[in-house]
Amino acid sequence: MTSVSMRRVDEVPDKELLARHAQGDPHAFAELVHRHRDRMWAVALRTIGDPEEAADALQDACLSAFRAAGRFRGDAAVTTWLHRIVVNACLDRIRRKSVRPATPMGDDATFDAVAPKMPDPTDAHGVSLDVHTALLQLPFEQRAALVLVDMMGYSVDDAAQVMEVPPGTIKSRCARGRARLAPLLVHHRNRRDSRNVGGVEGGGMPT
Amino acid sequence: MNPAHLDYDILADLAEGLLEDDHAASVSAHLDTCAECRDRSADLADVSRILAEAPVPSMPAELAERIDTAIAAESLSTATVVSLERRRGRRHWRILSAAAATVVVLGGGAVVGKIALQDSSGGDHQGSTSPVQDGADRRGQARGVAPQATPHQSVMKSPTYTVAHTGTDYRAGRLGPQIDHLLGKGQELRLQGGPPDQRLAGCVGGVTGGKPPVLVDQATFEGRQATVIAVRGDRPGRWTAWVVGPDCTAAAPHVLEQENA
Repeated sequence: MTSVSMRRVDEVPDKELLARHAQGDPHAFAELVHRHRDRMWAVALRTIGDPEEAADALQDACLSAFRAAGRFRGDAAVTTWLHRIVVNACLDRIRRKSVRPATPMGDDATFDAVAPKMPDPTDAHGVSLDVHTALLQLPFEQRAALVLVDMMGYSVDDAAQVMEVPPGTIKSRCARGRARLAPLLVHHRNRRDSRNVGGVEGGGMPT
Repeated sequence: MNPAHLDYDILADLAEGLLEDDHAASVSAHLDTCAECRDRSADLADVSRILAEAPVPSMPAELAERIDTAIAAESLSTATVVSLERRRGRRHWRILSAAAATVVVLGGGAVVGKIALQDSSGGDHQGSTSPVQDGADRRGQARGVAPQATPHQSVMKSPTYTVAHTGTDYRAGRLGPQIDHLLGKGQELRLQGGPPDQRLAGCVGGVTGGKPPVLVDQATFEGRQATVIAVRGDRPGRWTAWVVGPDCTAAAPHVLEQENA
């Protein structure tokens, strides 16, 4: 993960910080959050869309992680564990918000109902959506998978651990999501280079 | 050659290796001969690239502060549980509270007055109860209503306030502005909390004389664990605030500081 490579060599590893927190060090957890907060924020904001909801979800997630630190099993990276809690907190928020509609809906319909209303984005070739708005057209699972893999640069296996589903499910959610986004992001394409003919890369690399 | 063009779903599945071998082979064969579908395939690659290139947003400063505060408050409440056996530290609070002895007496007086209402000794605490409640009490007294039936008791029994953990470190002389800030706009989330436990409910009732508080905050005062209790003052925008030690009860409030702000 990129966060690992950005770390200074003399820094305390994430797992050590989490262990110190579980042993009662009052500053260890805050340090852990400081270290990863921009990426956690990015995941929450992009997954949930609305900044205020994302802020609430992230605060929920931080407090859940604070309390659950003793249950961290250590078989995944701490960032994977943290992001799992963030994604789950986002899903909780979205579900709570979508309780309101009286008529039962399928999952896709529920999530779509939460997204801002747009003119049907698939009917016009030139509809111009920014990335943020386009992502909100996707069902939650597809959006979360693309946020992790294409935007945050997670491997499919790491994203599968975050979302607690098999890697094949992540691949399929990414494929569905990209297929839905392709017509929405047409205007972003830069067709000056025609290098991609025939091949599609599985995941974008983070910058 | 092949009239059946490929849609984004098929192409996305191909890219992720999700197609069966023979299906993948026929799709690849089609792509070799169809520029339009190669274009669509490139669209999909662009989606990943566009997503990857989207700038990572930085966490807004006020959210970072809010989360730090929430974590600090959580640390504090966890620490409270852990360090219960260190109650000897209470002596510390007693020494500090000596200076506020008059406030303790006043607060205590209000409680005594409330319990003894039916003995028509309410005159000396009128200032600490609201006019409406006062009037109701006097009528009750006049008719000799039993104490269990006084409106005060129902107010005391089921607190309508919640206990916040805002993580604020209150400062002597700054209570007014600090409370102003917390009760101002945009702080609602910090004020969310649970109902008081029995000890704290008794403490709050004792200190405020039964007035509903606008703020009960388990935080720190001058860096030490303390609870801040505020009630509305006689005019809008004014409050009376008490700082009490963590062992405050109705009988022994241990008021450390009182300010009219």
